[in-house]
Amino acid sequence: MTAKSRAKLIQRSRAKPLPRSRGNPDPARRSLPNLLVPIDLRDGEPTLPSLFALSEGRRVAHVAGATVFAIVFTESRLPEAVAAQLGRAGADKVLLCEGAGLGAPPLDATHGAALYAAVERVPPLLVLFPAGGAGDELGPGLAARLGGAFAAVADLEVGEAAVSLADGVGRVFIRRWRGDHTGYRRIDPVELERPVVAVMPAGGPPADLGTGDVEIEVIECLTPPKAGVVELDSEADDQAAVALASVLVTVDPALGPDALAALAAAAPAGVTVVDPTAAPAGLAAAAPRLAIAVGARELRLTNTPRGRVAVVAPPGGAPPRPSADVLWPVPPSGGAFWTELAAGLGALAPGAASAAPPKVPSGGPAKGPTKGSSKGQPKKPAKGPAS
Amino acid sequence: MNVIVCLHAPPPDAGGRVELGRDDALALAQVLSLAATGAPVRVTALLAGGATDTAPLQRALAAGADRAVRLAGEDLGSADFHTLGQVLAGGIKRLGADLVLTGMRSDDEGLGAVPASTARQLGFVHVSAVEELRIGDAAAGGASVEVVVRGGGRKRRLRISLPAVLSVTAGPRPPAAPPERTGNPSDVEVLSLADPERTVVRRRTEFLGQPETPSRGTETVTSAAALIAALTRA
Repeated sequence: MTAKSRAKLIQRSRAKPLPRSRGNPDPARRSLPNLLVPIDLRDGEPTLPSLFALSEGRRVAHVAGATVFAIVFTESRLPEAVAAQLGRAGADKVLLCEGAGLGAPPLDATHGAALYAAVERVPPLLVLFPAGGAGDELGPGLAARLGGAFAAVADLEVGEAAVSLADGVGRVFIRRWRGDHTGYRRIDPVELERPVVAVMPAGGPPADLGTGDVEIEVIECLTPPKAGVVELDSEADDQAAVALASVLVTVDPALGPDALAALAAAAPAGVTVVDPTAAPAGLAAAAPRLAIAVGARELRLTNTPRGRVAVVAPPGGAPPRPSADVLWPVPPSGGAFWTELAAGLGALAPGAASAAPPKVPSGGPAKGPTKGSSKGQPKKPAKGPAS
Repeated sequence: MNVIVCLHAPPPDAGGRVELGRDDALALAQVLSLAATGAPVRVTALLAGGATDTAPLQRALAAGADRAVRLAGEDLGSADFHTLGQVLAGGIKRLGADLVLTGMRSDDEGLGAVPASTARQLGFVHVSAVEELRIGDAAAGGASVEVVVRGGGRKRRLRISLPAVLSVTAGPRPPAAPPERTGNPSDVEVLSLADPERTVVRRRTEFLGQPETPSRGTETVTSAAALIAALTRA
C-alpha cells in the first residue's frame, strides 16, 4: 500500500478447508451482525448493482449494529482505487479472497469453497449478492452449507422486531415476492437464528454513504483439487447489460421493428431496451427496480416488492398479468404509441428528475438485442479459466 | 446414462389444470433433445409430492420420459428447500443417476435453491443457469456433459464431470411442449418416504418466511406520460 492509499491491509490468513459434514453448523456462531456483500467485478471494476448492494447494506447497518464487508474474489491484489470505491459505497472492510482461478466468473464448484472460507472468517447475519452477479450460482449453495434461508431477489427493510432486542439489533428484514406474485414473504434473520442469503435488485446509483477509508483483509484460498469443471471456450456475454439493468424496457417483437428501434434510440444512459426473445437468459437473471413491458407478450421478470412494473397493452392485446403495478391499455386509435413512450424515457434514467423534459426520438434501427448503457457491461474479454 | 429430471407441481392455471412448471419444461426439453439425437440416455421424471400432484409426471411421460416416479409425501408444497433437497436426494440415491436436471426456479416460491440443496445432499457438482446441454466427448476422459452458462460478463462453454446436478434456465431451446394428452396415472411409480433413511427429514417452513399480502394493486393510466409518472412516483 502506498502512502496515498486510504485502503489498509490489516490481516492475511489462510482459508480452512470446507467441512466434510453435511450437518448444519452451530447457529449461535451464525447470528453475528455482519453484512457480507460478494462483489461482482467486470474488467476489474465493481458493477453498479454491486455498489448498490453495498449502499443498501450501509443503509441498514446502523440499525442492525452491523459491519459491512465487501467480499472480492481475485487472483491478485485489489487496486486501491477499487477498495476505496467499495468503501465509499458502504463497505467498512474488504475481504479479499485470493487464489488461483478466482478471477474467473464464479461457479459453486470453483468459488464455493472460497466464499465459505470468507463466511467462516466473518460469520454473517446477511449475505447480500448484487443483481446480475453470482447470486443465483453461489447463493443457494452457500445457504445450503450454512443451513440458512435464501431469498432470490429481495428488499432490505427496516422495522420493528416482534421481540425487542438490545441496541435494535435484528430490526432488519428481508422481503421478497413469492415466485407466482401472489404475495410477499418476510424473513427476520434474528428470529430465524440462521443467516439469510439474498440477492439484491439492481437499484439506482449508490448513495456513497460510506468513506474511502477501508480496511482490507486477505484470505488465501486454495483451488478445489477436483472441481469437476473445465472451461472449453468463452466469449463476451451479449446479454450482460440486460442482467445488470436497473431500468429495463422490453419490446414485444410482434409490434414490429419500428417500436424497438424508436424506444432503443430514445433510451438514455441507464435504461436498457431489449427484445425479450433475443435475451431470455439475461432476462431470467435480471432484477430491475423499474420495468416496462411493451406489448402483449407476457414478461416473466424477477423483481422485489419495492420494484415497479408497468405494462403497455397494445390495442386488441391479451389482458395483462395482474401483478403489474401500472397498466396503460392503449386505445384502438393509439397508432404508433411507442413514440409517445419513447419521449418519456428520459425521466427513467437513474438520477433523472421526475419532471425531465420529453424529447422526440430520432428513430433508427437498434443494433443487437439491447440498447442502453450500464457501467457493468463488459467492454473486453475477461481472463482466466474456469478452474 | 441415467438422467433424472426433477419436477414440481406448480399452482393450477386459470383453467384449473396443473401443467409442467415453466423452468421444468425447459429442463425436460434439454434432456429429451439429447435422447432425440440418439444419445444413450434413460430419462426418469421425479417429483416429490402427494397423490394429487402427478399431473407433471404424466405430462413428462407423454412428452417422452421413459419413467415417472413420485416420492410420496403429503404437504411438501410448503416445505423449505433444505427439506426438499433432502427428500429428492433420497429418491435419487435409490433410483441412481449420472445426471440430475431441474428447472432454475419453481413457479410457486421461485427461489431456485432446491437444486443446490439436492446437489449438496448427493455430494454432486452443481451448476446453475444452464442454457444449452450436450453429452461430453468420451475421449476427454470419464462421463461428462458440455453446457453453456453465463456469468461475470462472459458466455462460457464448460465441460462438467458427472455426476452433477444442473439447473436449466431459458436459452435458445424452447420449452418442452407435451401434447394435450397425458400419460396414464397408473404408469407413475411411487416411492415411499416412510423408510428409515428418510426419518431424518424435518420440515422447516419458517425458512420460507412469513406470508404477507401485497399492499398495492394495479393503477390504470391513459397516457405514456402518466405511466412514467406512476412508475417514478415514490
